[in-house]
Amino acid sequence: MNRLLYVQGVPFWRNVVVLRWAVQIVSAILVIAVIAGFFGNVSREIAARDIPFGYGFLDREAQIPIGESVIGYHPSDSFAYGLLVAALNTVKASVLGVILATLLGILVGVARLSPNWLLNRIALVYIEIFRNIPLLVQLLFWFLIVLSLPTVREGYVVFDAFYLSNSGVNLPWPVPQDGFWPWALATVVGIAVAVVVARRLHWRETESGKPSYPILTGLAIAVGVGVIALLILGPMTIEVPSPEGRFGRLQGGAELSGSFTALLVGLVMYTSSFIAEIVRAGIQSVSKGQTEAARSVGMSGMLTLRHVTFPQSLRVIIPPTISQYLNLTKNSSLAAAIGYPDLVSVASTMTQTAPAISLILVVMLTYLAMSLTYSLIGNLYNRAIRFKGT
Amino acid sequence: MSAVTAPAMDRPPPPPPMTVGTLGWLRQNLFSSWVNSLVTVVLAVVVGWAVIGLISWVIVTADWLVITSRVQLYLVGLYPQVDAWRPQVAVLLISALLGVSWRSWGGTARGFAVGLSAVAVIVGVIPHGLQPLNRILVLAIPVAVGVGYFLAAGFFAGRPRRIVGAAFLAVFVGLLIIRGIEGVPGLEPVNTNDVGGLLLNLLLALFGIAASMPIGIALALGRQSNLPVVKWACVAFIEIIRGVPLITLLFMSRHILPLTFPENIKIDTLYITGITIMLFSSAYMAENVRGGMAAVAPGQTEAARALGLRGWQTTLLITLPQGLRNIIPAIVGQFISLFKDTSLVFIIGMLDLVEMGRVTIQSNLEFVDNGREVYLFIAVVFWIFCFSMSYVSRRIERALGVGKR
Repeated sequence: MNRLLYVQGVPFWRNVVVLRWAVQIVSAILVIAVIAGFFGNVSREIAARDIPFGYGFLDREAQIPIGESVIGYHPSDSFAYGLLVAALNTVKASVLGVILATLLGILVGVARLSPNWLLNRIALVYIEIFRNIPLLVQLLFWFLIVLSLPTVREGYVVFDAFYLSNSGVNLPWPVPQDGFWPWALATVVGIAVAVVVARRLHWRETESGKPSYPILTGLAIAVGVGVIALLILGPMTIEVPSPEGRFGRLQGGAELSGSFTALLVGLVMYTSSFIAEIVRAGIQSVSKGQTEAARSVGMSGMLTLRHVTFPQSLRVIIPPTISQYLNLTKNSSLAAAIGYPDLVSVASTMTQTAPAISLILVVMLTYLAMSLTYSLIGNLYNRAIRFKGT
Repeated sequence: MSAVTAPAMDRPPPPPPMTVGTLGWLRQNLFSSWVNSLVTVVLAVVVGWAVIGLISWVIVTADWLVITSRVQLYLVGLYPQVDAWRPQVAVLLISALLGVSWRSWGGTARGFAVGLSAVAVIVGVIPHGLQPLNRILVLAIPVAVGVGYFLAAGFFAGRPRRIVGAAFLAVFVGLLIIRGIEGVPGLEPVNTNDVGGLLLNLLLALFGIAASMPIGIALALGRQSNLPVVKWACVAFIEIIRGVPLITLLFMSRHILPLTFPENIKIDTLYITGITIMLFSSAYMAENVRGGMAAVAPGQTEAARALGLRGWQTTLLITLPQGLRNIIPAIVGQFISLFKDTSLVFIIGMLDLVEMGRVTIQSNLEFVDNGREVYLFIAVVFWIFCFSMSYVSRRIERALGVGKR
């Protein structure tokens, strides 16, 4: 670098290396000045206007009600624990939403390619309706519909086990018994064995060219071990909700509250319409020549789908789908509008007794962490498919 | 005479009756196999039942008084009744622009222009509680479309720069009329907190997308810079904004933005919201611009360098213009999602179309059971805007031949 700095006959103000460093330093000073100016101004104003700020509140008793919780909650718990409960509620809504939206999205996307004209058009109408209406309007609408359902006593019942009423959905749910942990261990071992066997079979298939069905075999091992252990150990019982609770409530099973049901339906309908379009575009993106080439080397329809069309369309489908998952997670913050106690909703309730700015920073950092997790998954996937291509 | 009719033997035999015409179409597309036939019948029954149910609800059961008695609230919020003509003049300017597009572009623009005029005539003619001045301004919409159409044949003919200039001027004048000018009689400035309803959604989305263009381009260029400080500052800004929900940003800015101004300046909620939406949108715009520039063929850059253009010249004159052409559909898509996202401003207490609907249901006892009507109305309004924009976007995409060149 020194050699470059003192090139004969070039004045230093036209030396590229000097110029680059100068621009770097100037821009660094600018960036730092803007950030420092912003934070300096804000912190000075916070002090001047007696606006509360700080994180001492996290250990105090929250003393606010949170409607539902995955891990149990009492108003005497701390703010920190309350925020954790709220974050888990967000995770619960987004994980369930992601699973259901994926299933529905694939279904609608494939229906969009159906040769049946009517099915095809219904899928199109579904997509165009649900992706062109703000999610907030959809959520408010579904919440209204749930609230206008009859009470539990007069609600809809299917097989005496599934209840739909204005307090949400009640459905049978497994309750772990004594044998639960041995069973869980056996299942994990089964899955591990299945993965090893499947990789081995996959390797043999690519080496020898003989179909070895790695995925099917792996699935069979995993499911088989799980089911056999289930039958032997009896690790859980299925609890069916029954109308014996007090105040006309249902007892037992899992209860999805009214606002959670509305949130889930809204998120799933909205996101699945986007995923459906991604799936359709992904399947259509595989050029016809690929299918024709596969058929001309003698692959059957099923083989073509498995080894040619499907892997190629997955490359197109998965990256935008991951970004839809991220959108769904961020969109679950709209729960605040219908009273589901997610992170944003609980945090905004807490602002009555705790510093608002500190709270919202915690909320933003939590969402940022979730987003980074999704980007990490996306980047790992992109790297994986890039390696396969070489 | 006899030479005209060819001998019957030379004609190809007619196609089998079940492969052509309506019957053939039905057979191929709905009843090609027994599974397909079953699917068709089941779906037809379900869809028919749903459509009939919906139509009968809309016509018979629903009580639309909750909409018709307060149309103005939904459209412009608390904007003063006596000044309602001002947004209408802005609509007239847009209609004239639509007329220009009809003449110079045809196709889709014609459909929109004719549709808008038809709706305007219907609304203007049916008797309901519309002030005479407002009624005249509604009926003036087809006239404005016509004026635009004829201007396009004369003043604008073959001069795209004039059209672009006129479009910018029209938007600027429209915004000025809506906001008002200090000291001009009849155009007194309107309290920004009174702007609401659909007008608020449209203004925020338009401002957000327009203001985010320059910032987004700057961020995208900064992200590609080989100066680490600039690059990482841009990356951090883009990823932080894209990583959190808009609702938390709005919530944050309500508490933080006023602190960045001196205490004696009281900043309006409308401007706080506008700035937040601008920053939010610019992070997404930056990613669009980056994608568009990445899609420009590398040969373009190489050719530019071979011609002796410097780095910044290559970017500004070669890569950026072609990249921006690539992202026009993406910008429309971003506008659509931004327009939908403007419904989140309820979190800082602004009365946009959705919040206005919710307030109407909750604060009027007589409308407490009319929630479905309200949300259906709001959904239809948003849907019409979003769907027509995405339709136009697809047309532009095809016309530009993105990915074809």
